[in-house]
Amino acid sequence: MSDRRRVNGPAGTTLPPVFDDAVFEKLDTRNGRSRPPNATRKLFLKTGVTPSASGSAYLEIESSAKPGVSGLKLSCSVHGPRSLPRSAPFSPHIVLSTHVKYAPFATKQRRGYLRDPSERDLGIHLEAALRGAIIADRWPKSGVDIIISIIEGDQDRETSKLQGDEVWDMMNALSGCITVAAAALADAGIDCVDTVAGGVAALVQDAGDGSTPSIVVDPIPSEHEQILAACCVAYLPTRDEVTNLWFRGDLPASDLELYTSIVEHGIQASKNANRVLIDCLSGTVG
Amino acid sequence: MSRHQYVRNLDYQDAMDEYEGYTEEEDELSPEDRVLLNQGTADVQAALGVEASKVTVAQIEEALWHYYYDVDKSVAYLTAKFINPPPKAAKPAIRQPNGKSVTSSWRIVGAAAASRPAPSVSHLFRDMPWGNIPKHREATLVPPPMPRGGLLGGSGTQPKLSKLQALAAARKKKAEEKTADNNKPKAAEAPTGKENVPPSAPLNKRVRFSGSATQDRIVAIMTPAVPSQPTQSDLQQQSDVAAATPENEPVLKATPSAFARILCGLPSDDPKAKASMGETPLDPSLFGERYGPDNKGRPPEEPVDSTWWFDIHKRKRDDSGEYEEVVVLYPNLPQDARDNFALPSPDDIVLAAQAKAKPKAGQRTAAAQSKKKSTHSPETVAAAVSELKVDDAPLPKSRGLDVLSEFEKSKGKKNASFVVVGHVDAGKSTMMGRLLLDLKVVDQRAVDKLRKEAENIGKGSFALAWVLDQRPEERSRGVTIDVASNRFETKNTVFTILDAPGHRDFIPNMIAGASQADFAILVIDAGIGGFESGLKGQTREHLLLIRSMGVSRVIVAVNKLDMVAWSQERFNEIKNQMAGFLSAANFQDKNISFVPVSGLHGDNLLHRSTDPAASWYTGPTLIEELENSEPNARALTNPLRITVSDVSRTIQSPVTVSGRIDAGSLQTGDAVMVQPSGEKAYVKSVLVDEAPAEWAVAGQNVVLHLSHIDPMHVKVGDIICDPANLVPRADTFTLKALAFDILMPMEVEVYRGRLQVGGRIEAIPALLDKVTGQVIKKKPKIVKPATVARIVVKLEAQVPLEAGQRVVLRSGGQTVAAGLLE
Repeated sequence: MSDRRRVNGPAGTTLPPVFDDAVFEKLDTRNGRSRPPNATRKLFLKTGVTPSASGSAYLEIESSAKPGVSGLKLSCSVHGPRSLPRSAPFSPHIVLSTHVKYAPFATKQRRGYLRDPSERDLGIHLEAALRGAIIADRWPKSGVDIIISIIEGDQDRETSKLQGDEVWDMMNALSGCITVAAAALADAGIDCVDTVAGGVAALVQDAGDGSTPSIVVDPIPSEHEQILAACCVAYLPTRDEVTNLWFRGDLPASDLELYTSIVEHGIQASKNANRVLIDCLSGTVG
Repeated sequence: MSRHQYVRNLDYQDAMDEYEGYTEEEDELSPEDRVLLNQGTADVQAALGVEASKVTVAQIEEALWHYYYDVDKSVAYLTAKFINPPPKAAKPAIRQPNGKSVTSSWRIVGAAAASRPAPSVSHLFRDMPWGNIPKHREATLVPPPMPRGGLLGGSGTQPKLSKLQALAAARKKKAEEKTADNNKPKAAEAPTGKENVPPSAPLNKRVRFSGSATQDRIVAIMTPAVPSQPTQSDLQQQSDVAAATPENEPVLKATPSAFARILCGLPSDDPKAKASMGETPLDPSLFGERYGPDNKGRPPEEPVDSTWWFDIHKRKRDDSGEYEEVVVLYPNLPQDARDNFALPSPDDIVLAAQAKAKPKAGQRTAAAQSKKKSTHSPETVAAAVSELKVDDAPLPKSRGLDVLSEFEKSKGKKNASFVVVGHVDAGKSTMMGRLLLDLKVVDQRAVDKLRKEAENIGKGSFALAWVLDQRPEERSRGVTIDVASNRFETKNTVFTILDAPGHRDFIPNMIAGASQADFAILVIDAGIGGFESGLKGQTREHLLLIRSMGVSRVIVAVNKLDMVAWSQERFNEIKNQMAGFLSAANFQDKNISFVPVSGLHGDNLLHRSTDPAASWYTGPTLIEELENSEPNARALTNPLRITVSDVSRTIQSPVTVSGRIDAGSLQTGDAVMVQPSGEKAYVKSVLVDEAPAEWAVAGQNVVLHLSHIDPMHVKVGDIICDPANLVPRADTFTLKALAFDILMPMEVEVYRGRLQVGGRIEAIPALLDKVTGQVIKKKPKIVKPATVARIVVKLEAQVPLEAGQRVVLRSGGQTVAAGLLE
């Protein structure tokens, strides 16, 4: 008699039936990157999609042209600033609470209705990224809830090989989360020092184990043979500040320059996203 | 040699000499230094180029020496200090750096340095001389914008104004209009510049002005770096990033997908966006392939905001010529698919059945019996469905122990519980606190702490009572309100103390305590007037109650004898009066014992009194009397019965019940039934005396963690029983009652342990003989006090009742009768 209000899907994966149809030509699991290494995918961003929230935004990153590969679709709503409950201790700053949740159908592996550790991790990263942008002492004794639902998780359904783990996908998701949250915060009219946007850069190896790795921005794991390292940057362009940096991967410790150059590429990607963000905000807020 | 000795033996003179020798050598340059200095000077001169003539070699060497031969820093220093000294006069605070004069030399330096390999992060600080930061590298601190006006929230629209703000705005507007009227020609001439930009468009304004160089520094905030003048660090970063994105690259804005268009409703409310993407057809392979409304992958032909998922048909009514409108959901789906949703869903059926079945929960067994007769009637189906239980949690595992043989094998200590009763302020709680202190169940420090707290509110003598009275209201009022229990062990028995309240307002709690006890300690205040007031008060009522609850053994503790100087006469006087009274209440002589004690000082509790005045008493102490008492025989083999005395929520289980096993035994994994709700539950784990156990038997106070049951089905006063041998539920019962007051058909409150229900005496079928139980008189109108009668009581609710249970009837705050269920 438990949980009858939701239609719970199967926990594991199910393969949809694929009929022998002429429309579906043979799917190439990896056809390489179609963009130049320093080009990010196009974004669609729109604020004010949820009327009941104080501020909201919707972000979409187009998928590559391959069928079966989903893009990233995020919806963010900001509730607040509102007064903290009586029971909460006094806070001289705004209390930021971030909540990132994958929709159950967002990824290849079906997600549960409760947040798992990786989703909570995303929330913490997001909070760190936004805390640097919000002017927190404008709103003492108040709290703001930032709720992001990942409607489509930017995963390749056809990739048979699991490349390490899904942390690379999570980085793309996080960068989207940061951008969409910044848009929603601006929509809610919460004071920020700058618009923060996320960007991802990765060190990838495309031609076998021995080949020289190259740095690309906005990587899609299914387009590359192997991702050696990646970093997700939350960056304030006018202040030239990084509010959150998530670096993951295995690099030789001696090559310091490689680290910095990956981070710089991440900043570049973040600047691209920021341009879309500014464009979107100047269209709606103005 | 230890460190200590080493320090002591240290020859300071030697150490100083060495140090001085070092400094003397430092005066002259070593050959290596000289080489480095020469090399550095050449480098600096090369870096400075034409400007090198403006500095002397000595100045260069000085700079190199200070910067440890760091050419870059030296060059920066020299440039700032000698070649291009910054103007001393106060400059305007906001000034665009002049690329030609100051920064050109910096650019050269940058270019020279960039030829050498260096980690890119160090570039950021490369041309940063300490304390003389070039103007163009200084951050501009702009005060953050003040909060925009209006109320919070809103999605992209104009901020809502509060009433006050709206009023202020209206007034301001009026005033402006007035002035505008006065000097109209002047206003008409005024150019419509930035003043006319609405204040609600701060971002737009900023973006627009970011192009103009004069405003650039002020509006830097919230503007992306790209449209503004690129700073030098930006330039360097971009030169480092291979083939960086060119400046002023068009914004990478994607067209919304079909999903986004549905979500945002773009076509209707954003004409600009519509114009930009209205002609581009959606790529069906991207979104919604094979998912369109016609299942063929075609996107919706008509605008999305039209309602393709329902349709309104007009249907002619049969009787008249009028038409009525019928809404058809999903008209594009085939008919059979729509039929699936025409009927109520399985969930709806179940919920409806449950709603129907709820009022009949009491007669579920009746419904089950009638199932045989009409197998397919809707009621039986509903009842059957509602009895379906889907529960994913695994059942607790039973180890299948033979509990009784385990119990015999265990050879544990005996279990006994006793209730402490007596008139209010007889010193019950204080005596028990003293006993626990003497037995070292509580330590002296805890009591000292309590004493300090008690003295703070002026009740120093209550410290010992506070060991058991832990509620704030009990402490502030100085009386026990609810039964407090505690445990202590002697050599061969585990005792459970039930400290009952003496105040007459809390008699129901006292009944609950007495129902769990094997024997009782009656505490009597021996002080002048104390005994007499107690006899009139609750001493008598408590005695009658414990007797009618089935307690036969009573130890009378004559307390506060130290107040009357351990007077033997007083003790004997009380003993004689009480003995007569007790035998009148049907207590046997061998089950009564008297102990003179002092609860406050602890005389004759655990230790014999040391007061010479008390030397006349040679009998056993209170604890010896307790150990001599044999607990009642346990009904080990009877079916399981546990009266729930407390329900709580713990980590182990949301339904944690505590109570005393009245009869039978249980082990973990057993299925049990909770009456009167009639819900089945499983024993997840058992705690006996706060320690985990595999099993428990009658007489033990247990805590059970139940699973597979909703907390709403378990209440205080319920009976947990064996599913094979249920306690019957009833709302009418016959009682063989001893009347304490006049009984007639009237409203009463019925107490059984923790359970408390309102009811009414329906009939009095017979008056009985006190000894033989023979019927003396049939259908009496009234029952006089101290007579026994058979009475029929009807309750307001169904409660679990069983023959042999002891019940107390009270009315108007007085105990009117007590008796045995028949």
